[in-house]
This record gives sequence, structure tokens and C-alpha cells, in this order.
Amino acid sequence: MNDKLKQLYKDVILKHNNDPFHYDKKENATHVLEAYNPLCGDKFKVFIEVENDAIQSIHFHGYGCAISKASTSVMVQALENQSIEDAKELCKNFLFALHHESEGHPSREDFEAFAAAREFPGRLKCASLSWDEMSRFLEG
Amino acid sequence: MQLKYKIMVDPLIIRQDFPIFRHHPNLAYLDNAATMQKPETVIQGVANFYRKENANIHRGVYQLAIEATEKYERVRHRAASLIGAPSTKNIVYTSGTTAGINLVVQSFLEKRLSKDDEVLITAMEHHANLIPWQMVCKKTGAQLVVIPMNERGELDMDAFKERLSGRTKMVAAVHISNTLGSINPVEDIVDLAHKRGVPVLIDGAQSVAHYPIDVKEMDCDFFVFSGHKVFGPTGVGILYGKEEHLSSMAPVFFGGDMIREVSFEDTIFAEHPQKFEAGTTNIAGIIGLGYAMMFLQQYNKKQIVKYLDELGGYARQELKSVKSLKIVGKAKRKSPIISFHFKNIHPHDVATFLGAENIAIRAGHHCTQPLMDIFDIPGTSRASFTFYNTFEEVDRMVKVLKEMKKFLS
Ligand SMILES: Cc1ncc(COP(=O)(O)O)c(C=O)c1O
Repeated sequence: MNDKLKQLYKDVILKHNNDPFHYDKKENATHVLEAYNPLCGDKFKVFIEVENDAIQSIHFHGYGCAISKASTSVMVQALENQSIEDAKELCKNFLFALHHESEGHPSREDFEAFAAAREFPGRLKCASLSWDEMSRFLEG
Repeated sequence: MQLKYKIMVDPLIIRQDFPIFRHHPNLAYLDNAATMQKPETVIQGVANFYRKENANIHRGVYQLAIEATEKYERVRHRAASLIGAPSTKNIVYTSGTTAGINLVVQSFLEKRLSKDDEVLITAMEHHANLIPWQMVCKKTGAQLVVIPMNERGELDMDAFKERLSGRTKMVAAVHISNTLGSINPVEDIVDLAHKRGVPVLIDGAQSVAHYPIDVKEMDCDFFVFSGHKVFGPTGVGILYGKEEHLSSMAPVFFGGDMIREVSFEDTIFAEHPQKFEAGTTNIAGIIGLGYAMMFLQQYNKKQIVKYLDELGGYARQELKSVKSLKIVGKAKRKSPIISFHFKNIHPHDVATFLGAENIAIRAGHHCTQPLMDIFDIPGTSRASFTFYNTFEEVDRMVKVLKEMKKFLS
């Protein structure tokens, strides 16, 4: 099988896809985001509890491909207990790693896994779907 | 010009007519329901028109313009002969299936539709044969009524009979479902509708390339298809309409080339089909479509169908050997369009794994979202074949699917 493909789907994505983090509906959260891609029908709801300018708790639920689901799961894991300012920074970080070669740019291993999506331009949107929505929300 | 000798359907030889396969020798193109690849004659035909023959039509009196007009108008003859239309007056050039349907909705149906009337469509329509009817219903207060199907993807003809009523003003049905591959009994649909005096539009986007079409025999009132799904260029298509309808329909686009007389006070329109073809159309595209239909007419449709039945049957059988793969759409009469899904693998992941091995399939809802809702799935992977596809391509697809399944579980 194609090596680039293996790289894309390697452990991080498979793990999060099969065992997503905080995969639960919390309809009463203070904020509910909807990340939706009408082209493919992927749709995730992200439930965020914001208090004192920080994300106290965050969950997600929905349907999408392995990449969009795993990237949402990684996002939920990364943003939990972060201040809004730090969350903004993390979003920038992730989206930067996704769109640019990461040389000289500090990034996390779980973010870097998605950078392999660069080899599959048709799938970049899957990796960024929930993060784009989150960015829009945080940046207000 | 109809070729006397029908050529045998041999995919390995036919492929040689398609430059794309020289540029991508390893490409298994299994997305023919989305659009087909183009034979050399079509590409050359379009290029040569611009290179050697370009002029606007119906306007010039110089030789180049006369020849362009003749060539453009000859395509009407070919379209008429391809689908068995009685005359070129029945053939309206459009920009595609979508445009043809919208024209019928706006020009034919809208003025006949009032509150509490009904328009019947099937549960397996492409959005192109759903939204236009839905919009005109909303505008007029009419009801859009859906003919259901069974779990195999076959229309429920008893329900159709029940739902046909004095209120029904139009029936629109897809000939072959682009998602399920089901071949609908269009003759019966037309028959039943006509018994109640209801006109019928058939969406032939997926049928013209492979199946013999005779609109006279089918007796439908309208029949639409797209050039790019019959080996021709994008942005052109054909609307067939019965003479009595086309002559009474008012144009919805106005401009040059569709008039007999114009003054500042009023305009007398040209006759059909010209009155529906305002402005400069896609002349090169229509000429390319002529070459595409010429390409198609070299082959005996019976042989095409026989080959595709074998190929589609083989693909379905081989796909069954992939663990936890489910085929969606198991109608008795079906075309080589095969949708499938895995319980835990998203269609886009499937398409990515196949794409990495140069196998092009489609993933998603295929512009049939309500149909996906019926099957309670968000989308499918779809392999759709034509007669340049081979058994070996099926094997390649199945091999990758098995590897993928193993890797992801
Ligand atoms: C059954 C059916 N109807 C309508 C269409 C729309 O065709 P076009 O986009 O060429 O207008 C398609 C194309 O996908 C189709 O498969």
C-alpha cells in the first residue's frame, strides 16, 4: 500500500478515529458550534463550556470521515482547559502546520500527523473543518 | 452520416481512442456517471472548429458562417436519430440536463400549475430533477409528491398508481438512478401517467450513453440529457420535447437569435427550437457533441449493454468478497453504476485509498441527499463503468478495498 497514505492514516488518525476523545452530546453547553461541509456532508457539533475566559469543558459528536473525525478529536483534546487566548494560539498553530511545511515552526506531534494531508489536497478541508469553525468562534 | 458497420465492443481497443489514457496509462477511471472521458474525435472536433471553422451561426452570409451554421444544425439531426425523435424541430440545444429541466419547469409547467395541484417525482431523483420542481411548487402552492421505492431501490409502482390523481399536473422521473443504478420502467410510468392525461419528463442523463432510446416509443413528453455524459463536451445538452408542447411554450430567455421580428413595441419570436436558444450558444460544444454522438453510433447498443451487464455483474460479485462492504441498490434491472458503503469507513476515506492507487471513484451523496436519508447513510462510494472499462480495473479496485479494510481495522 501507498506509503504516503500510511503516513496520513498512521496511528494518530486511526487511534482518534476509533476511539475519539470526549465523544458525547452536551446540548446544554454554553456554546454549540456546527462544523459542516456541504460538499461531503461531514457534520460535527462541538459543545463548549466557557467560563472565566477559558474552555472549561469541550465535547463533540457527529459524522465524518476518519480524518475530519480524528482532527476534531485532537482539537477537543488540545483545547480542553485552555484559556481563550491560548486556544486561539493553538488553532493558529494547527492550521499553520496543516498548510505549511513545518520547518522552524514549533508544532505538536499530534498536529503534525495531519500535515500528511498536504499530500492529498482533496482532504485538507477534512483536516481543517472543525478547526476553521473553532477559529471563527474564538476570533469572534 | 450513419456508419454502416457497427464496431465490436472491445474496451482495450476503444481505450485507444481516448487521449486521457495515454497521458495517464495507469488510470482506472470509474467515475463515468459524473462525467465521461472524451474520444480524440470530440477533442479534435472542438479544436478544429476553433482552428479552422469558427464563425457565429445564423448570422453571417459569408462562407465560413454558412458552414458553421450547417455543421451546428446537422447535430440536431444526429441527436434526433440517436433518441428516435421524429424531427429536428423536437430538439432544443441546452447547456445540459439541468438547464433542460429548468426550461420545462418555467416555460411549460409553471403556467399550468396552481394551488393544490401536484407534481410527482421519484425518491431517487438527482437534485437537478428535484429542486426545480420543488421551487415551482413552493411558488404556486402546489405539492411535490414523491414516489417511494423498496429497499432494493426499485420504484413502488403501486404507490405511483395510487398517487397519480386528478390533481397531478406533471410527472418527472429519472430513467437510470445515478446513485443506485436502478433502471426505472419509464414506459410504464409514461403509460400510467398518460392514462390520466399527465405529461411526463424523463431524465436520461445516465441512460443515453449505453441504452437504446426511442422517445417515440417511450412516448414521453420531454426527455433531457447532457453532452458530457455521452462522451461529449461539458456545457451542452439536449432537450427533446413533443411538437405540441414546444410550439405552445413561451421562451424564458430573451435576446438575439430567437426572434422573427423586433420593434421597440413588441417582439415576435422565432419558432421552436430557436425561440429557446437565445444568445450565442456553445457552438463548438454542440459540434463536439455531434462528434460524440457519432462516436457512440459506431457501436451497437445491444453489444454495449451486454458488455456492461457482464462487467457490472462481475464488479458486484467481486465487491461482495470484501468484508463488511454493503452494496446499496439491488434493483433487478440495473446499469453498471454501483454504490457501496462500509459501516465504519467513510466514503471519502475509501476514495482516498483508491485514489492513491490511481483508481477514480466518486464519494458522497451524489446530489441525491434525500435518497441517502432514506437509506440512512450519509453517502456512498460509487464506481460507475462504461465500455472502455475493463475487468482488470474491477480487480484492481477490489484488491485496494481489501487492503484498506485490513489496514483500517
Ligand atoms: C440522473 C442525473 N440527472 C441530472 C444530472 C445533472 O446533469 P448536468 O449537471 O450535466 O446538468 C446528472 C448528473 O450528475 C444525473 O446523473
